Amino acid sequence: MTSAAATVSEPRPGPHEGHAVSYPRFLLRVLWLATDGSPRFYAWMTVLTAIALVGLHAWAVQVRDGMGVTGMTDHVSWGLYIANFTFGVGLAAGAVMMVIPAYLFHDRDMHDVVIVGELLAIAAITVCILFVMADLGRPDRFWHMLPGIGRFHWPMSLLTWDVLVLNGYLLLNLHICGYLLYMRFLGRKPDPRWYVPFVFLSIGWAISVHTVTAFLYCGLGGRPFWNTALLAPRFLASAFVSGPAFLIVALRLIESQGGFAVGPGPRRTLHGILRVAILVNLLMVGSEAFTAFYTGGGHAATAQYLFFGLHGHTALVAWTWTAVAFGVVAAVALLWPGTAAHPWRLDAACALAFVGVWIEKGMGLIVPGFVPSTLHEVVEYAPTLVEWQISAGVWAFGLLVFTAAVKVALPVLRDEPAGGERADASATPVASGTAG
Amino acid sequence: MATELPQAPADRPAPRRLPVLQGGVTRRTTVKALGATLGLAAFARAIAPLTEWARDIPVDRFLQRHYRELTPEAMQTLLRQLEQETREQYGAEVHIEDVKPTPGVAFGYALNLSVCNGCRRCAEACHIENNHDRASQESYIRVLEMSKGSMDMERGRVDYAGPNPDPDKFYMPVQCQQCDDAPCVKVCPVEATWKESDGIVVVDYDWCIGCRYCEAACPYHARRFNWTKPQVPAAEVNPDQAYLSNRIRPQGVVEKCHFCLHRTRKGRLPACLEACPTGARVFGNLLDPDSEIRRVLADKRVYVLKEELGTRPRFFYFFDV
Amino acid sequence: MRLPFTNDPSRPRRRRLVLGALAAAGLVAAFGAGSWAAARAQAPTPAPDEAPAPAGTADHAGASGAEADRPRPGEVRRLAPAYVPRVDTGLVDRAGAPVLVSCGTCHATRPPDPGRCATDDAMAMHRGLVFAHGERSCLACHDPGDYDRLRLAHGEPVPFAEAPRLCAQCHGPQQRDWERGLHGGMNGFWDAARGGRERHACTSCHDPHAPAYPLVTPVFHPPDPLAGRGRPIPARGAEGGAHGH
Repeated sequence: MTSAAATVSEPRPGPHEGHAVSYPRFLLRVLWLATDGSPRFYAWMTVLTAIALVGLHAWAVQVRDGMGVTGMTDHVSWGLYIANFTFGVGLAAGAVMMVIPAYLFHDRDMHDVVIVGELLAIAAITVCILFVMADLGRPDRFWHMLPGIGRFHWPMSLLTWDVLVLNGYLLLNLHICGYLLYMRFLGRKPDPRWYVPFVFLSIGWAISVHTVTAFLYCGLGGRPFWNTALLAPRFLASAFVSGPAFLIVALRLIESQGGFAVGPGPRRTLHGILRVAILVNLLMVGSEAFTAFYTGGGHAATAQYLFFGLHGHTALVAWTWTAVAFGVVAAVALLWPGTAAHPWRLDAACALAFVGVWIEKGMGLIVPGFVPSTLHEVVEYAPTLVEWQISAGVWAFGLLVFTAAVKVALPVLRDEPAGGERADASATPVASGTAG
Repeated sequence: MATELPQAPADRPAPRRLPVLQGGVTRRTTVKALGATLGLAAFARAIAPLTEWARDIPVDRFLQRHYRELTPEAMQTLLRQLEQETREQYGAEVHIEDVKPTPGVAFGYALNLSVCNGCRRCAEACHIENNHDRASQESYIRVLEMSKGSMDMERGRVDYAGPNPDPDKFYMPVQCQQCDDAPCVKVCPVEATWKESDGIVVVDYDWCIGCRYCEAACPYHARRFNWTKPQVPAAEVNPDQAYLSNRIRPQGVVEKCHFCLHRTRKGRLPACLEACPTGARVFGNLLDPDSEIRRVLADKRVYVLKEELGTRPRFFYFFDV
Repeated sequence: MRLPFTNDPSRPRRRRLVLGALAAAGLVAAFGAGSWAAARAQAPTPAPDEAPAPAGTADHAGASGAEADRPRPGEVRRLAPAYVPRVDTGLVDRAGAPVLVSCGTCHATRPPDPGRCATDDAMAMHRGLVFAHGERSCLACHDPGDYDRLRLAHGEPVPFAEAPRLCAQCHGPQQRDWERGLHGGMNGFWDAARGGRERHACTSCHDPHAPAYPLVTPVFHPPDPLAGRGRPIPARGAEGGAHGH
């Protein structure tokens, strides 16, 4: 149930060694492998560590001096952190788009690399939790939220739901990845009863994670911009853009940098998912824009601010149109029949889609929810250097976790015996049936 | 099954065994150890500001329980500690009480928009009474200058400079509406804010984690966050304080209008009402049929802000005639 | 700031309610703005451009000796001048203080002339008077028989101390609301069982000769939302600039 894990049979445990001995050995093995690699790997990890430390320092300063070092105000009381949090949840939920083809549709190629998706979910949820911590005015009182010890306002507060689903999703994925790798470490065949039910649970859970996150916002009657039933579906659509987009690029990097042959299958499948998701997402954004502008009145104020500026305040206009442009260009590129034949074009389209969704969910959704304020004052928000530092630090840490996790898991994938995992895949429905 | 597992390729480098367990020191282990040491040093340096910050937080504050879990004795001890901390940090002698709601009292507030002239003395009185941070000029009250003939706040503004009243405008002060179905109370993940039996929505400043979800949820811009540690000169500190109201708040927590409960629970009128030069404000016990507030509800045409949200405020607005 | 006002228990209760407030409304017609100023020097009424700051807002609860003159539980004090207004003659005595006289000092020898009320001559006699109270004649409120008191429309004389009765002849809804605590403001206790309160009267806030509430300059302008952050905020253009503003 802890961090992702190792491989290879070398310090192979004795046949009758207990878990109390073998599991710590397994963890040490994981730690060793995660910190072992080529000079390029070391350089990459060092850069990420350095950025993460800069972010950590900025956060320490923020805790000491107060959130006044951010650009947030009583008018725009959530900013870059919650924006990134929201996007991160989407990324985690989007990773399920590898799990669904692998386990529901028995896509063998996808099944070979599905662990990358699960590891992305772990890294993304880590990022989300760190962003929530960064946003707390009193991180020292975090324990107030622990069920049993503090006062957990469940089920009334949607934030407590979010705590549950996020941590649940994290634990599910940690268990699945950790179990598979531990079994590999022990040299045993994974027992489907110990992970397949969890895989199916995680598919449903992924949807719930982002739905609950949407409910955080759309349940607030005082914020008309968020108070729309379309928010949860929209979150899911954009999650299924950002997740696959990230994974397409990640798989290619794993292939080119990690030396693991992924093959074209998974990328093709993800590309297909992306084509649908990005169109659905654009449709929903357009639908929201139509409703706001055609109806007009006070509820259109935020949309007006977002797209054209309000009362001379235009801070988000450039962000918005950048997101729209990226989304449209990415959609055209992804749908263009020739794109798939050129990996770099596909990667570029994915990058555009990824950044487009990042803007759309952050500067295009969380921030404008506060502009104009509930008393219709227009107070603009711009992140400060501290906020950028902390955000970069959190993302660097997330990438660090993801890189290390993939680094550990790669040998497992590389050493995959023919027919091993694939046999699992074909056995899945039966296994889950018996397990369930 | 285990036989299906691959053997490690023969060309793998030596330190595949766990070095700690094997005892062998290789160049790679050395580099790793060095890297880890440097990393730890950098980590310690990075979090150094946290130690400065932690110095200002007594262990008692860190371990303190929720307001509603404190025994009367524990509360008394806590209040004396808080007074001591105020003395040390602000140089001010204050008296902090824990004033409880009175049975049979439910507070209501009404505001006469026909006579409010937008002078903002209520906001100023709030600032002084509630020991708000001086530099940020904080106040629980925001006064909107609205266009006559429109209730659309989109057409209002707060940064008017007078002279008031402008004949084409009316003025609408907004503060916490003490909703019966308060969105802020619903969303708080740690029950740091709740509605008391006399209708006042309060915050335990020592329990709030500062997530600001309540600030996002409030439809009336009633909540304020302590973005920095509040600064109030010792001479200006209002010494008449209560735990749930105007004691000087810690950094990083949310606060809000509490109907001056340190005054009103002792029968006095709120500071904003006393400051009002036009008599636009009416305060009293909703459960007393002879109270002024009940006369307003009975005789005036009253409305509440954003009624469509279903928050059921205990703050009412009315016009004369 | 606070004017002592003693209730006379012999008066009927209803009259008592109105009583204090009536007082300064007696300033109405025919005496000069000087007298208004003199009265205001003692009464908590607004100077132009400055709304009145009612007593009791500045001192913190129970902090000082102000406790002693707080109204007792159940007591309602009317904040109104309980004296005959004085007119500034424009002269100063040897000590340099302005010489004030009561209305009757001049009007004892000057018979009233209703026809001259609005003439320049009459205004010149009442230095600085701004009259902006509808089309009233001086004698609509002032008693021509005794300038040190007022009179109601049907001729009944009223002392200055009961001026609100006079005001109420025209301003019925205001008087009704005022009596019920919905007009005019107060300070003290909402709970009569635990403390008394002080009420403003008509002329605490309204100049009887120009009763429209004066224009005020609002105080406490809302600050920049980023004001007062303990330390300097990094130049906002620095980060924002890269993103198109």
